[in-house]
Amino acid sequence: MHEVGIAEEIYRVCRQSVEANGGGRLARVRVAVGELSAVEPDLLEFAWRGVVAGGPDESAELVIEWRPAVQVCTNCGHRTGGNHTARGAWLSVCPQCGGLMSIEGGRELDIIDLTIEEGG
Amino acid sequence: MGKTVDVKSKILAENDRLAHQIRERFSRTKTLVVNLVSSPGSGKTTLLEATAKALTPRLRMACVVGDVATERDAERLKAAGMPAYQILTGGGCHLDARLVSEALAEAHFEDVDLLFIENVGNLICPTSYDLGEDFKVALLSVTEGDDKPFKYPAIFSRAAAAVITKADLLAHVHFDLGKVREEAKTLNPDVEFMVTSALGEPGIGEWTAFLEQRMASKRAQARVGSA
Repeated sequence: MHEVGIAEEIYRVCRQSVEANGGGRLARVRVAVGELSAVEPDLLEFAWRGVVAGGPDESAELVIEWRPAVQVCTNCGHRTGGNHTARGAWLSVCPQCGGLMSIEGGRELDIIDLTIEEGG
Repeated sequence: MGKTVDVKSKILAENDRLAHQIRERFSRTKTLVVNLVSSPGSGKTTLLEATAKALTPRLRMACVVGDVATERDAERLKAAGMPAYQILTGGGCHLDARLVSEALAEAHFEDVDLLFIENVGNLICPTSYDLGEDFKVALLSVTEGDDKPFKYPAIFSRAAAAVITKADLLAHVHFDLGKVREEAKTLNPDVEFMVTSALGEPGIGEWTAFLEQRMASKRAQARVGSA
């Protein structure tokens, strides 16, 4: 749904950066998308193709790095792995000590870097 | 062959810039700004109508409300005594800081204690958009099923409050309050979990008390900040 808006914003920033760096063709942009960002990577990639189609950067590649959220025990520091949303299996208490868990990470929505091909 | 340039910025940096301006403005006026997020029909507008009736005229409130179409929500709020400005997204599934900024420029809300932003009915898309709020609130009605927090972890991990609505209907639905509370607390141990009914028991006392407590905190901070 809003992945099109996100893709458009990524492209806008990329285009600005390409111009600021002497122009050229956008070859690739790397982004980080967090598990809890409410952005779906497959939809974002699909939206990206639509955004660049027919334009000067038609073959620009969007590389999406998935960033999972982890749970961390507020008592003993025990950390769980990612991929919660597939299982929906968030832990209500720490499996080691029974303490309260907090969530770290997973909210990333970042542009990491981009690659420019010089010339037309 | 190509040149790689570091960007290292948030995709929503432009949204965040506008959100920051909104936040600064309401920090100066010590206005508490609350972004309400829920599925369509959870009772955002009804809760705000009841809030208007409970807290007017002691507190000055206003609302910016987002919908795809119709001005119905703004009309209802105005009829309940809360100044309201309707944003029409024309298909957009969430509010962003630009829409809220533009609305505030048109609305001319002056000297408001509490500004509500009633987001577009949607539990997903509004999640990552900072609107300059002090915090987000997630509403969930008892008719929506008690499995929702883990189904929508993005919003429930961010919301400062999880407000259960339509609690007067509990006798007629399968809705395990304890399970919902546990899931909400798992996603955010600090969440304020409250059970409300705008039209019956138990009323909205927990909600209005929460708002007043957050307002007092913000005012206390503002005083410290200006020292």
